[in-house]
Amino acid sequence: MAGTRLPVVQTAGLCKTFKDFWRRPRVEAVKDLDMHIHAGEVFGLLGPNGSGKTTTIKMLLGLLYPSHGRISLFGKPPTDVSVKGRIGFLPEESYLYRFLTARETLDFFGRLFRLPRRIREERTTHLLDMVGLSHEAHRPVGEFSKGMARRIGLAQALINDPEFLILDEPTSGLDPIGARQIKDVIRQLGQKGKTILLSSHVLSDVEDVCDRVTILYGGQEQAVGDIDDLLCQRDVTQITIPALSEETIHEVRELITRLEKKDADVTHPRHKLEDFFLQIVGQAQAADIKTSGARAGGEVPEFLQTATASEVVDLVGSLVAAGVKPEAPVAAITRPVVKDHVDPSSDVLNELLGKDQNEPDEPDESPMATTTDLPIAPAKPPVSADSGVIDALLQGEPQASEDDESSESNT
Amino acid sequence: MMQVWTIARQMIAEGIRMKIALVFFVLIAAIVFGLPFSVTGDSSLTGAVQSFMSYSLMTTGLLLGVLTIFMSRSLSDEFVHHQMYLVVTKPVARWQIILGKWLGMCLLNAAFLLFAGASMYGMVYYIKWTHPPRDEVFDEQELNNEVLVARHARDSQVPDFQALAEAEFQRNLEQGKYDQQPNFDPGKQRKNLAGKYEARWRVIGPYETREFLFDNILCDRSADKEIQVRYKAEISGYEKDEIFRAVWRIGDRAKGAQAYELHVRHVIDRFHTMRVPANAVADDHTLKVTMVNVNPFEGERQAGNVLHIRKSDGIQVLFIVGSFEWNLLRLLTMMMCKLMFLGAVAVLMTTVFSYPVACLTSFTVYILAGTRSFLEEALEFMTGREHSMFASVSEFAIQSVAHLYNMVQWVIPSFSHYDAIEDFVNGRNVSLVWVLTAMGELVVIKTAVILGLAILLFYRREVAEVSV
Repeated sequence: MAGTRLPVVQTAGLCKTFKDFWRRPRVEAVKDLDMHIHAGEVFGLLGPNGSGKTTTIKMLLGLLYPSHGRISLFGKPPTDVSVKGRIGFLPEESYLYRFLTARETLDFFGRLFRLPRRIREERTTHLLDMVGLSHEAHRPVGEFSKGMARRIGLAQALINDPEFLILDEPTSGLDPIGARQIKDVIRQLGQKGKTILLSSHVLSDVEDVCDRVTILYGGQEQAVGDIDDLLCQRDVTQITIPALSEETIHEVRELITRLEKKDADVTHPRHKLEDFFLQIVGQAQAADIKTSGARAGGEVPEFLQTATASEVVDLVGSLVAAGVKPEAPVAAITRPVVKDHVDPSSDVLNELLGKDQNEPDEPDESPMATTTDLPIAPAKPPVSADSGVIDALLQGEPQASEDDESSESNT
Repeated sequence: MMQVWTIARQMIAEGIRMKIALVFFVLIAAIVFGLPFSVTGDSSLTGAVQSFMSYSLMTTGLLLGVLTIFMSRSLSDEFVHHQMYLVVTKPVARWQIILGKWLGMCLLNAAFLLFAGASMYGMVYYIKWTHPPRDEVFDEQELNNEVLVARHARDSQVPDFQALAEAEFQRNLEQGKYDQQPNFDPGKQRKNLAGKYEARWRVIGPYETREFLFDNILCDRSADKEIQVRYKAEISGYEKDEIFRAVWRIGDRAKGAQAYELHVRHVIDRFHTMRVPANAVADDHTLKVTMVNVNPFEGERQAGNVLHIRKSDGIQVLFIVGSFEWNLLRLLTMMMCKLMFLGAVAVLMTTVFSYPVACLTSFTVYILAGTRSFLEEALEFMTGREHSMFASVSEFAIQSVAHLYNMVQWVIPSFSHYDAIEDFVNGRNVSLVWVLTAMGELVVIKTAVILGLAILLFYRREVAEVSV
């Protein structure tokens, strides 16, 4: 799917060598990197410390100049000022002006994008609400905790409604609520067709939100591809059902041994700590306990929920080429659900359920729906922590809801 | 332009909220409002006002120069603390960032300079109203006519000493006076003769008369207007009462102008101003001033002193060409030109160097610009001995410094060329031509070149530069 979209980022033979005081080459941070990020893609940049992730991002933004190779953003060099109007950037630390208040910070960056005053004010209000800091709008950013500053950093990255969002360690320093919220925002922006480049050490974050990843090591690309393709363990089958009695488990094991000649490992799954934490904090927020920190964020502002310009162009092109009307939202990303890979497990499952093998699956209704090798999307949060954004995700457009539900059922 | 203005606004906000600018504001306010109560000059009203204006303007200029260099830390900090990452990744050209930073500094300086100027203006009138009078009428007249005005000054015409020397040299040559001189040097001889003629002209012995001619006295020649003749009573010996007595005749009846004779008693070694009606100026805008070194006061002792007219303190004719207020505004504009140049230097340095180095280099340029005249004289003295550069180690060092200085001096202006404070305090006109020259050299040419260089280097600089 990504191949049909316009490439937002293209690098060819990209190299960066850092030199010492005497201009002698010392460190090759990035070596011969060919990278393509397509419009509407959530792309993950992974790698251990010193693998060249941040250097690559800095070159994409024109903060560093390549030693060799070429970079193209929207078909132009990264130093082109016109390109920067289409980019949002959240650096690894929130490099904000300590003396400006949260509102002034967003207004300052809005001015740099030459946004008219009314739009600046509207977006500032909505973004502060989204990141849960509207009650601290008039407090200097220098007084903020790291997590609160990260939230303002995210808000400034979105002030221009960017087509391409670069997030360097976006959840660094954030509490689980903030981290979850950022992931929700990324996911929602991705669904709305924004192109996102995400660099993170937190692999679960990348796994949760990215369509495609590349893994760097020693400044070189080690692996690249769709995250589902890369992570799918096709030699293991996982079945999730409500708790069974010991007797049933024994029978199931016997059945599996008899039919498949294999041993089954049966355990009780654990809640994710993130979900449990969100549940506790959600209860505290519901009890209206006072806090000077960030509060639950609001919904993603409406201005961020529109299709990007490049996508409209892409859509027009595809309409002309195909001569058909799209049914889904322009930028909706459909995740590959592995339905053609059910044998032989589906037979076992149907037998367990006492189901006719010809009867179609109903993955959306049942918690023990299809077999997949790994979760595709995170589970629905158990309670209303961060409910605004999360609910928006779940109650969004039909296409998005379907995706989410199918993801849930696949778990 | 919106981005430039945004960066400038942010720079001003930083200066105020980080309290750098506030500290300087308080210092300037303390000086302008505190000096009138501590500086009295020579205890006269004019002296008090002149001392106050001189100290407050010089201190304000110095403080704003330091503030400019301190403010440039903003740019340096943005590199160090990486706020620049967020700015350069927005649709802002790098030239807009440099220009915005410079503009922010200039606007803050302009605001402070206006505040200092307005406060100083108010305090001048406060001193005028509250200063204990020696002679109420005289004090106020002196202040109004010699300080709170804009006067144009003309120096007297000076005889062509070189021509006189040449004529005598040729006569001596024809008469063979130099035939017996060993190691005869014609150039040295001419120089000595010219020096002799000038020395003779600059001294007025007892009972001698000297005429001083002035041209281009382009003033309103009405009888109700006035012109002023200023000189310094520097004499060969001190009178017991320290008073020099003489007769001055101002005006040339032969040209149809009114002539006035003044019998004066002047304290020696001080400047004195004689005021006469402007109709003493002839139709062709010339003025003849005659000094007679004789005591006109009967019964008072005639000392028979020699009056010495120094080249640096020559006799001048002054006439009013403008108001004190406009003169003050022009002076502040001149001061602003220097700050604009210094701001560009500070921006350039912080673009290239880390803050301590940038601060040091900016101060060096500031000091070099402020002391250029003195340095030029010193270097000329040191290198004017016509020795080979390689004659000795010290000669090599001195001449190397001189050559280096000559290389950079076209960029570093001489602030003393545009130092109008002394003129302003003495009620001299800070001419528009002078202001325009300052703007031309300091702002249009040198500031533009330096900002251009800063922009070029900023474009070449990797904002996230890492040196390993």
